[in-house]
Amino acid sequence: MSEIDIEKSRQERLEIDRAATKPVGMFIGTSLVWLLLGSFLAIGASIKLHNPEFLAEANWLTFGRVRPAHLNTVAYGWLSTAGIGIGLWILSRLCRVPITDYTSLTLAAVFWNLGNAVGTWGILRGDGTSIEWLEYPPYAAPLLIISFAFVMLSAISLVRRRPPGHIYVSQWYILAAFFWFPLMYVTSQALFFWNPIQAPAQGAVNWWYAHNTLGLWFTPIALGAIYYLIPKVIGRPIHSYYLSMIGFWSLAFFYAWAGMHHLIGGPYPAWLISASVVASVMMFVPVITVAINQHTTMKGSFSALRWSPTLRFVVFGGVSYTLASLQGSLMAIRSLNYLTHFTHYTIAHAHLGAYSFASMVFFGAIYYMMPRLLEREWPSAWLIKGHFWFCSIGFIIYFVSLTWGGYLQGIELNTKDTPFLEIVKLTIPFLKSRSWAGSLMTLGHLFFAVNFVWMLARKRSASTTATLLGKQGPLTNP
Amino acid sequence: MNRFKFIVAGFLFTLFTSFVGLVLIPILTLGNQTPLIDPETGEQIPPPLTALEQRGKEIYISNGCMYCHSQQVRPERVGTDIERGWGKRRTIAADYMNDGRALLGTMRTGPDLATIGVRMPSESWHLIHLYNPRSTSPGSNMPPFPFLFKKQKITGEKSSDALTLGGDFTPEDGYEIIPTPDVKALVAYLQSLKFGHYDVKGAQRAVIESKAEIRKK
Amino acid sequence: MLYAAIIVLIVMGFGAVGAVAAFFWAAKNQQFEDVEEGSHTIFGPDEPIGEATDSFPGRAPGKQK
Repeated sequence: MSEIDIEKSRQERLEIDRAATKPVGMFIGTSLVWLLLGSFLAIGASIKLHNPEFLAEANWLTFGRVRPAHLNTVAYGWLSTAGIGIGLWILSRLCRVPITDYTSLTLAAVFWNLGNAVGTWGILRGDGTSIEWLEYPPYAAPLLIISFAFVMLSAISLVRRRPPGHIYVSQWYILAAFFWFPLMYVTSQALFFWNPIQAPAQGAVNWWYAHNTLGLWFTPIALGAIYYLIPKVIGRPIHSYYLSMIGFWSLAFFYAWAGMHHLIGGPYPAWLISASVVASVMMFVPVITVAINQHTTMKGSFSALRWSPTLRFVVFGGVSYTLASLQGSLMAIRSLNYLTHFTHYTIAHAHLGAYSFASMVFFGAIYYMMPRLLEREWPSAWLIKGHFWFCSIGFIIYFVSLTWGGYLQGIELNTKDTPFLEIVKLTIPFLKSRSWAGSLMTLGHLFFAVNFVWMLARKRSASTTATLLGKQGPLTNP
Repeated sequence: MNRFKFIVAGFLFTLFTSFVGLVLIPILTLGNQTPLIDPETGEQIPPPLTALEQRGKEIYISNGCMYCHSQQVRPERVGTDIERGWGKRRTIAADYMNDGRALLGTMRTGPDLATIGVRMPSESWHLIHLYNPRSTSPGSNMPPFPFLFKKQKITGEKSSDALTLGGDFTPEDGYEIIPTPDVKALVAYLQSLKFGHYDVKGAQRAVIESKAEIRKK
Repeated sequence: MLYAAIIVLIVMGFGAVGAVAAFFWAAKNQQFEDVEEGSHTIFGPDEPIGEATDSFPGRAPGKQK
């Protein structure tokens, strides 16, 4: 490998990262605002469940509005926004072409954030729809749809301009996510608001959409990020590329069919529920292939967790994916579902997926991306470590509290002689513990945000410890 | 794999199959029901909501009641819904035919409300409970809804609408708590919740039988 | 309800058959030949296999101190 080859490949990578700085940076930066807002809404909702008089006078702060506001801001404001940025950057890197539609992506970022702002305000003022995962009032949707159209066009443009050659697994995952999400979102908007369907069918549409948002929007972007970042960080290719293809197609097929497990016991025909239970259990296939791949790739490199911030978050997330999905497959089995449905156990599971898996992977991706987009280092290693430890320990407390409490709640709900208020009473200590855990996690997010803003404010410094930007040192000439 | 077009076609196909199975077919089979008539009373069942009850449902949706309360009765041997007296039978699709926005719910931080109109029909209980749940149910973690009520100075005689509260919940001397039209609508909606209470299966059988009769003629 | 169940089974069946057929097509067309090479495409001369590309700020890649 000659010096010329190395320099050429470096310039190419630089050009790609520089073209991504502003468009991707806008999505990542604004996602952090939503992360913080979503975290505070979460703490508010959590406190209200064991302290119902907390901030209860105002109608816009009633639990029934704060809770969906939390869900939608973290789903569409934090995870989706970060996911768009991360997805576009990885596509740009893997397609080896720079992002060129700066104007349309700026519009997309503005519209996306505006849509989230309008939607969140709408929920708090009482216009929420009470359709889970689709609580933004209908007037917010067009902003999100227009924005995403621009994002899709950008993704398609990257893919079409790529040089001929191999398509890496992350590209399939991310491109698929960028197609799946808008199709599901627009379909759901149409069936709920533009030409509303009768009530008995709404649950099916609702949970086809909501479950697939988790599995066909957040999951593929996060998996695409894991498949790219683990090998990149440790300098070793994915152990079994073959397995990763099986993983992709089995996810695409089985996950899409699994959504009705949210309706077990409800007013739906048995065949509908059973189809989803089967698909949910079949999810073992993609989940185990991903787990095997991640483990065998990492084997021998686990010491990297000590020196790589990205890897800590990404591996924590990857392990959480395996656990959340295996747990989910089990929870879809009717006998366990009869115990856990309607309890806090389900909430713990949901956060194992959306937080411990998706959010932690996205944190890791952002730690990797930002120095390359801004050509400077993160200012503080301590803030990074604090972020990791507060969030991981906080989440473990969260998960244990609600899993244990939810399990006890389920047992008592299924004991007909236990008065309902007794059940409420038994959950209170677990709900309090969850508020503490959530506060730790929010502290971690604040560390992240402070480090991020500090990094933006710093000028490009000529650091002598050449770390992230090439062995020759940080670049002074474009 | 090097052909993007095949990959795109593939993953669009997988989504499409799930759309057909989990969305389209349920819409065609469950979402296409025609109103039923109770063979005994001649009334439509389930009865559609009155304008007041519909307004109450909007308040229910606006304040997110669904996030703690479900509205579905599960079958026997699935949990203890029926044993707890939350319904006489499990609720089926036909029970929700006229429901507009379905509010089945996925959490039972609070009890299921599918048949609350049968189990707790008292308007005054609901008003007091909504004003502050702990006044009727000590230890409850349901939020209070003071903003659905008006605290006003008593001028002359006490209003007939004023809530009879006790203990810590009474307003200070000279003041009374009056329900707003919104909360009265909400209570009317709660009183209308009787999913699974109507004999929809009987009505469906009557439809099948009358169709058979017509064919015989 | 029975018709619905049958239709769903047929659709899922088509999906499964299609997936298996696609798999055999891919295997036949040697889509799997360059499989292991595919995992190398994320590397390049400037970030080759064997070199770490992440670290805490102030440290060299692959090193704790």
